[in-house]
Amino acid sequence: MVRSSPPRVLFGPQRPVDAGAAAPPRFALLLLLAAIAVLLQVTLAHAWTLRGAQPSLLTVLIVWTGLRCGPTTGGWLGLIGGVLEDALGGGGANVLGGALVGFLSGLLSSRYFAESLTVVIAAVAGGTIVRNAVSYIVLEIAYGDRGTYHRFAHATAWEVLLNCALAAIVVLALRWWSNRRPAI
Amino acid sequence: MVAIYSFWDERKLLVFVALIIVAASVSLLEIDASRNGRQSPIDVVVGAVYTPLQAGLTRMVEAVGTGVHDVLHAGEFAAQNQALQDKAGKLAAANQRLQADAAENRELRRLLAMKQTLPGDAVVADIIGYVPESTRREVTVDRGSRDGVHRDSVVVSGDGLVGHVLSVGPHEARVLLVIDPESAVPAYLRRSRSWGIVTGTWLHAKMKYIDQNATLQQGDIVVTGHGEIYPSGILIGTVREIDRKDNALYQTAVLEPAVDFHSLQHVLVYTSP
Repeated sequence: MVRSSPPRVLFGPQRPVDAGAAAPPRFALLLLLAAIAVLLQVTLAHAWTLRGAQPSLLTVLIVWTGLRCGPTTGGWLGLIGGVLEDALGGGGANVLGGALVGFLSGLLSSRYFAESLTVVIAAVAGGTIVRNAVSYIVLEIAYGDRGTYHRFAHATAWEVLLNCALAAIVVLALRWWSNRRPAI
Repeated sequence: MVAIYSFWDERKLLVFVALIIVAASVSLLEIDASRNGRQSPIDVVVGAVYTPLQAGLTRMVEAVGTGVHDVLHAGEFAAQNQALQDKAGKLAAANQRLQADAAENRELRRLLAMKQTLPGDAVVADIIGYVPESTRREVTVDRGSRDGVHRDSVVVSGDGLVGHVLSVGPHEARVLLVIDPESAVPAYLRRSRSWGIVTGTWLHAKMKYIDQNATLQQGDIVVTGHGEIYPSGILIGTVREIDRKDNALYQTAVLEPAVDFHSLQHVLVYTSP
């Protein structure tokens, strides 16, 4: 008996997929999106600064990928995105946080719908805090940047706000896009 | 059979451990490179890919931003353009005034130099009118008898001899130019010391009654000779053409006046010999 298998994400156990749910995006596409997000961040994000904080397209993408595709895909995408950020000036502070946030977001995927606006926004807020906290700890340990907690916390609070707004826009845009496509 | 997924099943744990090991390794690599002030191999590869992309994106965004800015501020640019054009017009007018002032300054300096080379008192006068009939070569100056000007006063410019005063009013005087045919100025060639009489030919002047044996050359300088009216040594012009006939008693030379009579503005009128 031939049985249609659910779409393969990267590796690891496959989740049972609802018949109506859209297939998760390919990992190559996610990598391309991550590369573009990092490129936009290092090139244009300085124009979007709000009280010292910039929105992180990569964080939103990592969290959304984790929710949509699971911890494995989310974790590896977060790791690769963090490597790209560090290679372009992060100094090694982003890769751990990226991988951790991707993986943790993926853990939520078995319990929550990735299409839920509330879930995505809450996950993005938590992911931003975790990423920045990990980065702060790495910076503290590796470089001894003492006394920057207040500045870091202030920027993180504003970044949470910006990232949540960005995530809301992305989710709403994806909903509009999926509703626009004709049903098969 | 339905698979039961635990929160920390074996595969997830494996992925988690792998992620942490790889991330920590990469992080340590980056930190080590950063603390030693060099680039890691990852930095080099990523930088090689991203640098041209960043440059292209930055240029594109700047071009789009400039275009949007230009469109949004088109009205403002038009106003600025108009203001700059007005300013340019005012500056051009001011520049012309300054150039005119500079030219006048140069002319007055030449007049002053001329005054210092000639004996006697003199007043500076402005040309205020020309004789309407084209048959006469006269000008009117704004100095008259009240300024010490008298009939036959010698008039010079910074370049040379202009003429002499023909008639005087209280506030103005009429000056007969040396290019008027009625004018007759005793003169000599500075190089050969040959004498003659300079009269006008409407546009130029000619020196008549030059000794037949005198050697003339084009470019010879002609100056006034001492006479009843003119002091000696005022430049009249240079020889342009020579008219010498073997059976004539005298030679004649056509002169190029030193003074440009079409652009005269300021002259020096001698009030005493």
